[in-house]
Amino acid sequence: MIEYKQISLNFGFKTIFKNFSLGIRRGEKVVIRGTSGLGKSSLFALALGFILPQSGHVLFDRLPLNEDSVWDIRRKVAFVDQDVSIGNYKIADWFALVSGFEANRSLDFSNKTIKELLDFFELSPDTLEKGASDLSGGERQRAALLVSVLLKRDVFFLDEATSALDKNLKRKVATFFTGRADWTVLSISHDPVWLDSPSVRVFDLEATEWKQ
Amino acid sequence: METINISLPALSLVFLLLALPVILSRAYNLGVIKPLLSSVARMSVQLLLIGVFLKYLFFWNNAVLNLAWLVIMILVAVFSAIRGSAMKPGKIFLPVFASFALTTLSILFYLNFFVIRINDVFDARYLIVLGGMLLGNSLRGNIVGIDTFYRSIRKDTKKYLYVLSLGATQSEAARPYIQESVRLALKPTLASMATIGIVALPGMMTGVILGGATPEVAIKYQLMIMIAIVVSTLFSVLLTILMTSHICFTKFGTLRGDVFIN
Repeated sequence: MIEYKQISLNFGFKTIFKNFSLGIRRGEKVVIRGTSGLGKSSLFALALGFILPQSGHVLFDRLPLNEDSVWDIRRKVAFVDQDVSIGNYKIADWFALVSGFEANRSLDFSNKTIKELLDFFELSPDTLEKGASDLSGGERQRAALLVSVLLKRDVFFLDEATSALDKNLKRKVATFFTGRADWTVLSISHDPVWLDSPSVRVFDLEATEWKQ
Repeated sequence: METINISLPALSLVFLLLALPVILSRAYNLGVIKPLLSSVARMSVQLLLIGVFLKYLFFWNNAVLNLAWLVIMILVAVFSAIRGSAMKPGKIFLPVFASFALTTLSILFYLNFFVIRINDVFDARYLIVLGGMLLGNSLRGNIVGIDTFYRSIRKDTKKYLYVLSLGATQSEAARPYIQESVRLALKPTLASMATIGIVALPGMMTGVILGGATPEVAIKYQLMIMIAIVVSTLFSVLLTILMTSHICFTKFGTLRGDVFIN
């Protein structure tokens, strides 16, 4: 469902990808590994149209990503960004902002649903009243994961989304995201818990080949 | 009642006042002599030229000439605004000019036509003087507003992109930045409105009173110009952001790198 076709990407003089190709099928759970600076996050940025390759293209559901399709594609992918860039928003205000976007109006952001997810991600209810910058890294990650679930999308781009969680939570989150047959999940992570599920495939970006 | 003229020998007494900061600077080694004198020199030459120029402009009072001079004033304001931002002038000149011109002209004509009700809306005394006050006073707000908008999206690139991924349209993602920019742009004007008359007698009032009008008239003019400044600042900041957005963002909703200096 997501195909990178002969992508070449440079930042200035630095070559990130040269003739890079990768295909991911619907329902696959893929862990992407590799040392930093290899362009793991760039894979997500390319598929979300945040950066454009110098050559090659990205297909999403067999359709090329372009200036028209990109807006729909972004609304099909739930992205959890590495730094959880929420700024100084109070968490409740952040949720309100996201649910206020035209594309999200019909989604269920009710107190009840949010409460259930807070419980699941082991966040206390008063998290909602806190500012994002007052939360710990792990709490912020869970808040972002919570939003990604609220969006009711079935493709997930998780960029180091469990790095600041404790071991049990890492496992719980990884099991949660890899357990749904209809979800397509791409996870950039060094956490071994992601490899526990037998259905998970591992792509090594350094060797540019599948490892598992 | 005529304003008392200042004779040339008397004016030189004003310049004599400058001896004071020069002496102080010497005594305390303040190092302000050079910048002070060069600024005074620049100002004097500029005002001298503009004095001669305005004298003829007022004398001819030709609609086309007045309008042309107003356009030049707008051009200068546009260049100052762009220079105060981190953007490349060539890329955003047109939309900024369009926004400033549209705002200034429409507010000026509204004031001249409906409020002051002068027969000749192109009358130099109103068109150019009021235009100058509008442009001069909304300029700082405009610079702050435009610069804040692009600078903060650039600084917040990750957050901005994350918001796009959460389903926002480009205008939804830009909205918090527009709010912040407009708030900051209006801040100085709103602050000076709140203290006006108590802390400071603003330039417009001083001018009108010295020009021989009663304080009542001066106050009415001051009210008019302050409201016009707030409205034109808000309007031109918004309009400039909207009009430059087409150039500064890609169709993918991301900021273009090539419109910024460095």
